[in-house]
Amino acid sequence: MSDDADASVTGVGETFDEFRRSFSYGSRGNLNFKFMKSMSEADAAAFLATVLQQLGDAYDTGDVSPMIETAIEAQIAGYAPKPADMPPMFEFDSGPFAPAKTQVSEATIGLLTTSGHFLEDDDPEPEGMTQAEAVDRISESLRGTPTLSEIPRTSDVESITVRHGGYDITSAAIDPNVSFPIDRMNELERDGTIGALASTYFSFPGATSQGRLKRELDAWIDRIKAENLDYMLLVPV
Amino acid sequence: MSVGHVARGLEEAGIATTTIMVEAFRHRAEQMVVPRAVITRFPMGRPLGAPHDTDRHLDVMRMAFSLLETATESGTIVSYPQAYRVQTA
Repeated sequence: MSDDADASVTGVGETFDEFRRSFSYGSRGNLNFKFMKSMSEADAAAFLATVLQQLGDAYDTGDVSPMIETAIEAQIAGYAPKPADMPPMFEFDSGPFAPAKTQVSEATIGLLTTSGHFLEDDDPEPEGMTQAEAVDRISESLRGTPTLSEIPRTSDVESITVRHGGYDITSAAIDPNVSFPIDRMNELERDGTIGALASTYFSFPGATSQGRLKRELDAWIDRIKAENLDYMLLVPV
Repeated sequence: MSVGHVARGLEEAGIATTTIMVEAFRHRAEQMVVPRAVITRFPMGRPLGAPHDTDRHLDVMRMAFSLLETATESGTIVSYPQAYRVQTA
């Protein structure tokens, strides 16, 4: 290992503070754990120590669920608003509410996700971008205009892929149903839970400019209304 | 936050919405006064559960759809009671 090697890659000379931050768009770039950047150093250290303790326990028990629960707890704490945070860009005291008009078992229902799933032959802008590039260009995405992709409900799950620079897409790539439940919608229609399905579902990567999204919204709502649906299932990531 | 804008737009257009999201973003649901939401205590990026955990996905969705029939005001946010299931198979 050379003396001038990057400390964030080799760990040589790297502080713990640098280490924990490196998971968030840094040298370690693991979006599952980018929340460590938002924790105090002490809390991040306690999180890792707890996980290692539970890993040791799992050698004997084979049960990794305590580690997963610890990670979920830490993620929740990491994302929780902090006193020093900027106030949210949008905050409301109340919201519009469309009363339900029919039973779900008699309703036509659509699906919209912010997961960034799309059909392989309908690659949204920037077309052809890889997941690694999406992660590298997250700042650009957060200033950009989102594309609302259409995914027909009859699409084969094998024809659906995903790209999003803001979260770890591993599960969403293995099984789109974790955030775009296209197969589950079919199953709930078959068993009678849902009356009917919209012909087309929608998806966009939610890591986008909120102002530009709001400017697109009226046109998006018109496209969605053309589906003649009663209700919409929304799945943000 | 993105989905909050979409939810508000759809409700204004007369389309009732129900949302499934992870606990880490509960504050976003509250800030945006999302009309109806089920909050799952799952890792970010897996709001319905683990890959191929079909029963869990369906259970979460049924809870979300039930809100369409029971919620009477915007900001009806409920917690899904089960933990993230670990795939052992």
